[in-house]
Amino acid sequence: MAQISQTQASYYGASSGHGAYQFTSLRDIINAFLVIYVGEDKLISKISKTDVRFHAQRALQELSFDTLKSVKSLELEVPATLQMSLPQDYVNYVKITRTDSSGIERVLYPAINTSNPTAPLQTGAIGDEGFIDAGSDGTIDLQSESDTWTSFKGQTSSNVDEDAYNFDTDLFDLFLGQRYGINPANAQINGTFYIDELNGKIHFGSSIAGKTVTVKYISDSLGTDAESRVHKFAEEAMYKHIAYAVLANRANMPEYVVQRLRKEKKAATRQAKLRLSNIKLEEISQILRGKSKQIKH
Amino acid sequence: MAVDVNKVYQRVLAIANKEQRGYITPQEFNILANQSQLDIFDQYFYDLGQFLRVHGNNTTFADAVEILKEKISTFEKYNATIGSGVTLPTDLYRLNCVRLNGVEAELISLKDFYRIQNSYLLSPRDEYPIYIRTEGTIKVYGHTSSTNHALSQKTSNVACDYIKKPSLVNWTYNVVLNNAIYNASASDVQHFEVHESEESNLVYTILKLAGMAIKDPSVYQYGAGEEIKDIQQEKQ
Repeated sequence: MAQISQTQASYYGASSGHGAYQFTSLRDIINAFLVIYVGEDKLISKISKTDVRFHAQRALQELSFDTLKSVKSLELEVPATLQMSLPQDYVNYVKITRTDSSGIERVLYPAINTSNPTAPLQTGAIGDEGFIDAGSDGTIDLQSESDTWTSFKGQTSSNVDEDAYNFDTDLFDLFLGQRYGINPANAQINGTFYIDELNGKIHFGSSIAGKTVTVKYISDSLGTDAESRVHKFAEEAMYKHIAYAVLANRANMPEYVVQRLRKEKKAATRQAKLRLSNIKLEEISQILRGKSKQIKH
Repeated sequence: MAVDVNKVYQRVLAIANKEQRGYITPQEFNILANQSQLDIFDQYFYDLGQFLRVHGNNTTFADAVEILKEKISTFEKYNATIGSGVTLPTDLYRLNCVRLNGVEAELISLKDFYRIQNSYLLSPRDEYPIYIRTEGTIKVYGHTSSTNHALSQKTSNVACDYIKKPSLVNWTYNVVLNNAIYNASASDVQHFEVHESEESNLVYTILKLAGMAIKDPSVYQYGAGEEIKDIQQEKQ
C-alpha cells in the first residue's frame, strides 16, 4: 500500500512540491468518503457528490479557522495614503505587525476608539445637510476619507524612539501620579490600525508611514486548488465532519446516530488540534528550564 | 455468454407443437423472442433494487445481488465517447456515469442547475463537473478557466459508462421445400444476449406469449406456471 509514487531523485531534484506528503487534497477526501462511507449496508446509503462537496468545503473552512495551521502573511511597505487593501483571500486577521530595524515584529494595535465612517461631501444644495450630487446620478458624493480618520491618523506619537528603553523627560515630572491607570494597549509606540470592512481597507496611523508592516491573517483554505488540502493529522476530522453534517441533515435519521457522530466529530477535531499544536517535549523542557530566571521580558 | 437462438426456438417448437397445438413461424418467434428478452432484461433492474434492500451473503456466485450484477454486466459499456459532449449512444438503455476528462460528473436536476451556478461553494469546476439531461441529450458543465470560474459547457473529452439495449434477436433461415431451415452462418443471425442462466426463462416467457398468439390457453398456462415457479425459487 505504498503511497509514494515519485522517486527520491525526482522529489529532491524538483524545484517545488516539497513537503506535500503531509497533506491530503480535498478532492481525495471527497472521493474516498464517497467510496468508503457511502453505499449499501453503510450508514449513508446514497448521497449526491454535490452534497459531499459542500460539506467537505464547509468542514475545511471550519477547521481552517481554528484547527489547521492556516495562518498566512503578507508583508508590504505602508504607502503615503496610509492604507492598504485587505489580502485577496482574507477572512480575519491574526495580528498586524510593524517590522523594526532589527527585524523584530512589533504588534500594532487596533484603533478601537475611532473609525472611518461614511462621510458625504457637504457643500452642495441637496437637503438641509447640503449634500452634493456632481454626477447627477442620484447618488450623493462622498469624501475619500472621513474627518474622523483624517484627524486620528494625523496624530503623532510623543515618542517615536523605539530604542529608548528608559524613556523619560522632565515633562513627566509635572504628571507625577497621573500616569497611573493608563491603558496599556495605548502605552506603546508601535502604531495603530483600523480595518474598514466595508471597503476592504486597512488604515494605519501616521507614525508608520513608509514602515514595513506584516498582516498575519487566516483564510478558509478554499482560495486556490493548491491550498484546498488538509494536513494528515486532520484527515479523520474531515471525514467525521462530513459524515456528521450529512447525517444530521437527513430526515428520519435516529438521533442516537447523529449524536454518536457529533461526539466522534468533536473528538477527532480535538485530536487534530492537539496534534497540530506541535507540542514537542524537548521544546517544552527547554522553556521550563528558564522558570527560575528572575526577570523575564 | 449468449444463449443460442436456435436452441431456444427448437425447445419452444417442441413444447408448443406437442399434440399439434400449433406452429410458431420464425417471424413470430423473432418478435416474441425480442419481447421476452426485453422483459427479462428490464426485470433485472427492479430485482436488483429489491435485493439490495435485503442482507446478502459473502459469496460471489450465490448472492442475489452479485448474480444480478453479473447478468447486467454483459450489457455494460465502458468509456464510450459522447459526440460533441451531448449526443448519447444510440444503443443506450440506462446511463450509468458521465465523465469529463476522466472525472465523474454528477447528474443535476434542472431545478438545482440554476441554483448551483450561483453558489460559490457548489458552482461546477472541471474537477467537479455536473451534467443535466434534456431532450435525449446531455450537457456537461465545468468552469471556464483557472482564473475564470464562470460556468462553461464542455463539448470534448466527455465519455460515459452505460447499459446498452439488448440487440434484436434474429433466427435466420433459408426456405427449403417450403420449410424454414436454420442458417447459422447468416451474417445477420443474432443470439440472445442475456445470461446463459436465462435459457429456461426465455423458453417459458416465449411460450407464454406464444400461447396467446396461437390462442392455446394450455401453452400459456404452462409457460406462465413455469415462469412463476422460477421466480419463486429465485426470490425466496
